Amino acid sequence: MTRRNRVALATVAVLASGSLAACGGAAAEAGGEPQTGGTIIYGHVQEPPCIFGGWIQQAYISRQVLDGLVTLADDGSVQPWLATKWTVSSDGLRYTFTLKDGVKFTDGTPVDAEAVAWNFDLWENKKGNSTAKVSIDPYYKSATAVDATHVQIDLNKPFPLFLTLITQGYFGIQSPTAYKGRSEQENCEKPIGSGGFTVKEWKHGQEVVLAKNPAYNSWPATAKHQGPAIVDEVRWKFVADGVARYASLSTGESHVVYEVPTVNWKDAQSRYQTIRYITPGKPVSFFINTKAGPFTDKLVRQAFAYGADRKAAVEAGFHGVIPYEGNPAVSQATPGYNAEVAKAYAYDPAKAEQLLDQAGWARGANGIRAKDGTPLTIKLVYGAGFIFTQEGATVLQVLQEQWKKVGFDVKLIPATQAEQWGGKYSDPSTFDATPSYWTSPSPSILWIVWRPSLPDSPNGSNRSFYNNDTLSTVIQQANSEPDTAKANALYGQAQQIIQDDAAGVGLYTQNSTYAVARNLKDFWLEKSQGEPVFSDAYFTK
Amino acid sequence: MSVRRIVFKVVSAVAVMVAAASVTFFAQLAVPGDRATTLMNLQTGQDREWTAEELAPLNERFGFKDPILVQYLHYVGGLFRGDLGTSYTQKRPVTEVIGGQLLPSLTLTVAALAVAWVLALAGTLLTVRRGRVLSSLGAAWEALTASLPHYWVGVVLLVVFSVQLRVFPIIGGTSAWGSVLPVLTLAIPLAGFLGQVTRDEFEQVLQQPFVTTARTRGMSDFGVRLRHVLRHAVLPAITLSGWALGALVAGAVIAENIFGRPGIGQVLVTAVNTRDVPTVSGIVLVVAAIYVVANLLVDLAYAVVDPRLAAGGTR
Repeated sequence: MTRRNRVALATVAVLASGSLAACGGAAAEAGGEPQTGGTIIYGHVQEPPCIFGGWIQQAYISRQVLDGLVTLADDGSVQPWLATKWTVSSDGLRYTFTLKDGVKFTDGTPVDAEAVAWNFDLWENKKGNSTAKVSIDPYYKSATAVDATHVQIDLNKPFPLFLTLITQGYFGIQSPTAYKGRSEQENCEKPIGSGGFTVKEWKHGQEVVLAKNPAYNSWPATAKHQGPAIVDEVRWKFVADGVARYASLSTGESHVVYEVPTVNWKDAQSRYQTIRYITPGKPVSFFINTKAGPFTDKLVRQAFAYGADRKAAVEAGFHGVIPYEGNPAVSQATPGYNAEVAKAYAYDPAKAEQLLDQAGWARGANGIRAKDGTPLTIKLVYGAGFIFTQEGATVLQVLQEQWKKVGFDVKLIPATQAEQWGGKYSDPSTFDATPSYWTSPSPSILWIVWRPSLPDSPNGSNRSFYNNDTLSTVIQQANSEPDTAKANALYGQAQQIIQDDAAGVGLYTQNSTYAVARNLKDFWLEKSQGEPVFSDAYFTK
Repeated sequence: MSVRRIVFKVVSAVAVMVAAASVTFFAQLAVPGDRATTLMNLQTGQDREWTAEELAPLNERFGFKDPILVQYLHYVGGLFRGDLGTSYTQKRPVTEVIGGQLLPSLTLTVAALAVAWVLALAGTLLTVRRGRVLSSLGAAWEALTASLPHYWVGVVLLVVFSVQLRVFPIIGGTSAWGSVLPVLTLAIPLAGFLGQVTRDEFEQVLQQPFVTTARTRGMSDFGVRLRHVLRHAVLPAITLSGWALGALVAGAVIAENIFGRPGIGQVLVTAVNTRDVPTVSGIVLVVAAIYVVANLLVDLAYAVVDPRLAAGGTR
């Protein structure tokens, strides 16, 4: 089916550009008169099991229903949302938020300090949201309601990025009354927040219908208009197939689509409004198993990084739409990104061969290197169809050929979601390299991913099994450093350590791409992880 | 049919279904990987190991650490009370998860089967032994369509009828108009397949002496084909239809994916991916039930088409 997929996409591209020539007048209708009301049809890809949760797919949709305390502006500053202002104690340990007055959840109960404190307790102590938890672990200590409009959050250690991290959709505030008083199923399908929309209906397998919250009065400071949503409804449809999803824009059956197939990107740019969001956090990069197998030798890891033209493969595989990322630790959209680090290990097969020779891996008869009778076989496990699209898998195949030329026998092992998420490839003996990504608006993602895994505090996210005390110390210093420039210098140093040791190998950035009909204005993506925002959007005539 | 025979049929049908659910249940437990880990990873979008402490609440809640036999008896016991369990991921009863998706799936597959039959019969009646050109065209068309992958058919239909001609919607949901393309996506390859089977039989029957006899009685050519030849020729295709219906229900996922249509195929894929054991078992149970019913219908259809079997069946 793989090849078919591509042929089909190409077919659509050709046919679609044909119809473009036929109706070239469409562009003229841009910039008409604003309308109120209407229904936005949004073509999304994956259907989450619940509206609210710790997966980015859930943050995307819960952002429509739940408000956060604060939000991230495009310039990277933290701006008011449910909290109008906040103070930080001089020791950096206590955050006191002042809440907006008169905000109510859609069940009529007030959004007060009590409710906010209860939500923090739910995420951090009651398994309410494991991604929210891990984002501010181990810095979070407690949340307390001082009075009705003041909530105080105490930390164990200073962590200035705390504010940036709680701008993510995982930190959406829900009504404690609704959460406690309703069944798990109701909370899963229709969480109650104070957001611009409410979940009206979830037609499983088809769509979630979001209805405007007419009483909305708690839009973020970054909103593009003051007031409740302008449209009446958003129909959040699940259209898994890329060809159909993109084609639905051309027939007017949808107004916004997510994940534009990269073959259609140029076409989309000429016909629609397009948004490409490069996700901050860990890019799609290889974890390199430093605990078992050939990659325990740093020279072999470095040879692996030098041994294939990753940049060219990414640019060809994704039709130039998705940027190459040479920095394995954080993507170019992350604050504190070290651009110098990204330049290391440019394609140099001669250097790769030299390193492998030096490490004692000699060429065998079949061109594959071997040492003490063991061939240089690399088990590269990748999540097929959910972490890696078909295009991503093509990139891996190109790289595999190049690695072979320098003497690596790379076995590409596609893992299903059930296998990968079920832990089949968690053990160090099961893989040598595995690509994955983790979105986060802050370089403190380094702590989540690269924190050493210790017996009393294991870190399952450190999939390179890379325990480096210096690295750990540098990241912790950075996390608690109040001066941003100094903190970023430290984060840069951490990225350097990871890259120098080739504990990871960079590949490409995780992106969100959107195409938007020309008659829909002010649809935008928030900054922290590209959650779509529909509450400002309006149609023009 | 005698009462005894009916009771036997019903009991064996129930046994088949319980067996199907049981096999699925155990097959899923045999898949490498831990269910609690999968759930945690699903909830967080990660692929990592979790500590025993982190997994404990899930293990406790769903009884993952209970002896397998206890888990199985609990499950089968539930089946007889009409309780298929609760979906691990959607937190809803499985009956509800499936219930909401069953009708669109059945509509899609039954309609696809019906349309496939119409196409196959039309092809057979109109092209078999109608001169070299027409016969070869018919046979070639069947061979071609039978080998077409669903994905390709769906995308071509979409591009032609939705994008270019704008006749049918792309994201049609469950509306009648929106169901046309998904139905055709499944029906066209199946029609080719049924047509091929029928064509071979049809050609042979056309040479039988009783056909010549019928013609000498002055019957029209079309009458002969329809009343006599077809009756014989459709038997293999009827047999295959029972299988096709079951296969279509589970295999409809591609058409569902392309046209944004709900259905249990889609739910099944997601459930398998997320190790949602009760949901997978529940769907297998439903598909097994559809096979059972379809095969029963095939038996009945046989009796209608072939009077010899009807006479024998009353024994």
